[in-house]
Amino acid sequence: MKNAMIKRIIVLCTACLWLCSAFAGQGLSPVNEKPVAPDFSLADLDGNTHKLSDYRGKVVLLNFWATWCPPCRFEMPSMQNAWLQTKDQGIVILAIDVGEDEDTIFTFTGDYPVEFPLLLDRDSKVIRQWPVRGLPTTFVIDPDGRIVYRAIGGRHWDDPALLDKLRELLPSRAPTQHQPVSKPLQK
Amino acid sequence: MALLLTSLCRYLIPVLLALLLSPVAQAADVTTGENPDTGLRYWQWHAGDLLLKLTQRLPDQTRAFFLARGFNAKQSDMIATSCVFQSMMKNTGKNSVIELDLSKWKVTHGGQQQTLHTREVWTKLWQQQKADMAAQIAFEWSLLPTRQTYLGDDYNWGMSSYGLKPGSRFDLYFSWQRNGINHHGRINGIECPADIHPEPPQ
Repeated sequence: MKNAMIKRIIVLCTACLWLCSAFAGQGLSPVNEKPVAPDFSLADLDGNTHKLSDYRGKVVLLNFWATWCPPCRFEMPSMQNAWLQTKDQGIVILAIDVGEDEDTIFTFTGDYPVEFPLLLDRDSKVIRQWPVRGLPTTFVIDPDGRIVYRAIGGRHWDDPALLDKLRELLPSRAPTQHQPVSKPLQK
Repeated sequence: MALLLTSLCRYLIPVLLALLLSPVAQAADVTTGENPDTGLRYWQWHAGDLLLKLTQRLPDQTRAFFLARGFNAKQSDMIATSCVFQSMMKNTGKNSVIELDLSKWKVTHGGQQQTLHTREVWTKLWQQQKADMAAQIAFEWSLLPTRQTYLGDDYNWGMSSYGLKPGSRFDLYFSWQRNGINHHGRINGIECPADIHPEPPQ
């Protein structure tokens, strides 16, 4: 009985991820008037604090997600690929988990290993300051701290055309090393 | 001549205005089927840049999901047996703006019409019951947002709840705006997932 149920759930999850892949688009929607991104300060899984305004001068890809959300899971590997390709080019990826604890996210990273910071918004205070209605929603923030693009739903973040859009936002001489201000990154 | 103009103003213009402002019914591509592995049924509707897909969620699947997020057994059961579908909405266009407001959608069942159980309806209930806060946060974000604007390629995925008993059949009347113009569509004969407890083959 239990095995049959587990098998059924695995099939459902696989079907969900396949559907996410089929539905994923590639567009980034420009945000009118480029509002200033609401600042926040959140801890990552290692206890390092990340303040959004400390990343001025860089392009930030800010993703709101949760482990139970199928399109969020679908886009994570491509986000990791994007991070590998751009981490030394002044592009930062921050993924804010909404409402879950460290243990849940840590278990998730066993199946979806990612190296960019996963931040915790346990009481959902940060997401409520952003124009987000559903998960995943991703914003691109330019080096001046303004929201320039938005994407609702999963994307193939390692798509070259999409990465070029991010690179176009970089100042001509972008800094190459990212350091959170409150605590140094663990090695 | 004056009489003709007066007649035009009195009759023709209001009729034209009414035609312009009334929602446009879309000729749609509707497909329905069943996942051979899970046995769960789906209904997909596509027209005018809006793709809508509803896939049944087994009540047991929903129960387990919400129990794991901090709801008690009674609360999880209440959600699970409220006719929950995994739902996807997508703007398949590149340059259009689609606006959805689920609070305007209508469910017809047994001659009665009702609205969907949106985030706002459930939130009020959880607040009255003082449900666990982490559970409330997970619930809010796992349900489709009531109002959302989809630009080109945007899509969203979440649960939608229709407030009917497991196994009920209903017709869904839904509406949206595309570039500011009202549209509506209908899917007939949607089936709420039955509350089955599958047994392993003997």
